[in-house]
Amino acid sequence: MGAPAKLVGVDGPLFKRALLGSLSWLAANHEEVNRLNVFPVPDGDTGTNMLLTLQSAVEDLKESNAAEVSKIAKLASHGSLMGARGNSGVILSQIFRGFARAVEGKSTLTPAELAAAFEEAANAAYRAVNKPTEGTILTVAREAGRAAATAASAPEANVPRVIAAAAAGARAAVLKTPTQLQILRDAGVVDAGGFGLQLILEGMLKTFEESEQFLQTLAETKKPHAPASQVSLALPEGGWGYCTEFLIEGTNLDTDLIRNQIEALGNSVLVVGEPELVKVHVHTDDPTTVINLAGRYGRLMKINVGDMSTQHRRILQREGAPETEGAAPAPTRANGVGIVAVVAGRGLVEIFRGLGVDAIIEGGQTMNPSTQDMLTAIESVPYDDVILLPNNGNVIAAAKQVIGLTKKKVHVIETHSVPQGVSAVVAFRADRPAEENVRAMKAEAERVQTIEVTHAVRDTRSNGLKVKKGDVIGLINDRLEFAGEDYGEVVNKALGRLGPDSYELVTVYRGEQASDAELAKLESAIRANYPGLEVEVQQGGQQHYPFILSVE
Amino acid sequence: MKRSFAVVTDSTADLPAEWHEQFGIEVVPLKVIFGQETFRDRVDITDEQFFSRLAASNVLPKTSAPSPGEFAQVYQRLARDHDGCISIHIGATLSATAEAARVGATSVEGFRVEVVDSQTVSMPVAFLCHVAAECPTLDDAVAEVRERVSKTRVLALLDTLRYLEMGGRLSRAGAMIGTMLDLKPLLLVKDGEIKPVDRVRTRSRAIAHMIDYFRSDQPVEYLGVMHAQSAEDAGRIAGDLRKELPDQEITVGQIGTVLGTHVGPKALGIVYIKR
Repeated sequence: MGAPAKLVGVDGPLFKRALLGSLSWLAANHEEVNRLNVFPVPDGDTGTNMLLTLQSAVEDLKESNAAEVSKIAKLASHGSLMGARGNSGVILSQIFRGFARAVEGKSTLTPAELAAAFEEAANAAYRAVNKPTEGTILTVAREAGRAAATAASAPEANVPRVIAAAAAGARAAVLKTPTQLQILRDAGVVDAGGFGLQLILEGMLKTFEESEQFLQTLAETKKPHAPASQVSLALPEGGWGYCTEFLIEGTNLDTDLIRNQIEALGNSVLVVGEPELVKVHVHTDDPTTVINLAGRYGRLMKINVGDMSTQHRRILQREGAPETEGAAPAPTRANGVGIVAVVAGRGLVEIFRGLGVDAIIEGGQTMNPSTQDMLTAIESVPYDDVILLPNNGNVIAAAKQVIGLTKKKVHVIETHSVPQGVSAVVAFRADRPAEENVRAMKAEAERVQTIEVTHAVRDTRSNGLKVKKGDVIGLINDRLEFAGEDYGEVVNKALGRLGPDSYELVTVYRGEQASDAELAKLESAIRANYPGLEVEVQQGGQQHYPFILSVE
Repeated sequence: MKRSFAVVTDSTADLPAEWHEQFGIEVVPLKVIFGQETFRDRVDITDEQFFSRLAASNVLPKTSAPSPGEFAQVYQRLARDHDGCISIHIGATLSATAEAARVGATSVEGFRVEVVDSQTVSMPVAFLCHVAAECPTLDDAVAEVRERVSKTRVLALLDTLRYLEMGGRLSRAGAMIGTMLDLKPLLLVKDGEIKPVDRVRTRSRAIAHMIDYFRSDQPVEYLGVMHAQSAEDAGRIAGDLRKELPDQEITVGQIGTVLGTHVGPKALGIVYIKR
């Protein structure tokens, strides 16, 4: 065999290289993962979500020279957790978490220990999901772990073989996913999240097969574009100060002590990490003092200071929104409860703001915000209890990750759509304690029915419906129910299905791509067919969905 | 029984028509102005005429308080066969009417006028007039009425905020309603202030919320259900309340033209004086 001695075990530098290999391989192929979208709706892109999650996982460890594999794994675990986007991103972060737990305290891994860590990573992912479904990334992770274990028990086992077996196991499991899930079979695709995981394992393997230099060029040439999500907030008096971020490398770093000291200097303080490496994030008026203070604990790296007032103005200008509003929300609310919502579309952002939402994270359907985006928004709100409204099924998992990452009490109300989000916020009352509000808001969100109207992005069969690319399709509460030629036809069918006699009001949120004529036509179609329903039109400005309707 | 003192109010009290005769309550009309035309509330224009004009007009009519002179005339007339009067009016934070009454009263010498700022609006003012009318002396009336001012409540459900906002009677500062969505706000008038207490998207849910709110705010001494061109809904609400409170008299009334200008058509209210 003649394998070089350094390949006997996985140490910190090797694992770091492996993860960088994963990143470049996924970056090169994530569009292919995106194309595996099961649904004909323009949806959160699995490939992009996983890539951004993985990017966040390697973000901090790129700078680390840690020799121990456990430290690199821990950085990856933490980074992926902060950057988790979309459901598959969240599961990926749990895989990293399980892996990090399994290798805790170890400086190098034998092939058997590596295989065991892969298996534990899969177990952790299963545990993190409420109702595990076979034929998804979970199955792929488990099969990869099993294959790795088998390879590790062979007499001539070595690290590259274990990883190769894991990648091959993943690939075989991915190919089988359509036999396990009807929706994949109908759409004629394999599971996207599982395929993403396969790419990550393959990328690790490439570390051993390709030269370091090649990886470097791959990483450089395949830079993904920056995510579009951005936190949008009302401007507090005196501006935002400076968003200050850096890493402290040292020994026996006390995160609690550092956090306490930095909290005195600003807000939105985030101090996380290990005794050897701590990540600091703070909004402060005086970045110099923060940096001087932190410098006493160790070597500072990746110092990044941004003027948030400027950033904020830029965001506002881009939105074209006025800088100051006539009636700014009162800074203090009797019940001490803040509201943060994930919303996209200028009109919808205004609607949510007007209803009293304190901070808005721009995002939704095709740009799922990360856990970090949501955490930043929550920290920016001057309340200790914060209600978080994801307003999209693909955002809920990442939203729930925020709980526990902050000292604040975060209440996630699982709103799947804009209408659910609006109904929830409308039910909010400033004179009611958090728990009571959460209960009332949940009940109101469940009462409303959502109809989403868009165009099929591909030919497919779904829910017993044959859909051609470009068809108008109607979803009721996230489920594809109707396809047709024009908006009015599809909406009327959907309203008919809901049973218009049980409802009073239809609110039409008009998307960016819907024309005045199309809006007028849709309105008159609803009024003609359902004279008993009141129709209200709002400019939503959302992308991808020409119309979103709230029926209540 | 002939009282020695008179009871005066204004047209925003939404006094039930028969109470004028039955309890001898004097009503001074406010005015509603459509462009060049001025109408005395419920004198020159009926509620039906008003609301059909309101719906057809694309500019909001203006409203104005009676002048001090108009009050002075009324007091002078009453001075002939009364030795004093209690004059109970719409809250001073909502209208200049009470102030006009006070100024008007100073020009009538030798006649005692006790002006009461009711800090409320609509039928609770009529209820206060009823309290006064039942008292043997003016001193008793003033004491009994003043004691109840802080117990008056108007729970109002607006079909739209448009009218109240155009009339400048509600600031949007209560962030609860600062939105372009057409919410049905549930408002509470208490101590002369209008405060939003809840907001709902649909009318039937809003009515349910209004009744729930009232249930949590009992017991009451007087109770009424008010409406602007929405007799059916008001009747249904009163019917529901009668089932729950069989011993309570419930008066159903129409919102007059001046108030109607600010609340808009289809407004509903549960109005009461707490015990």
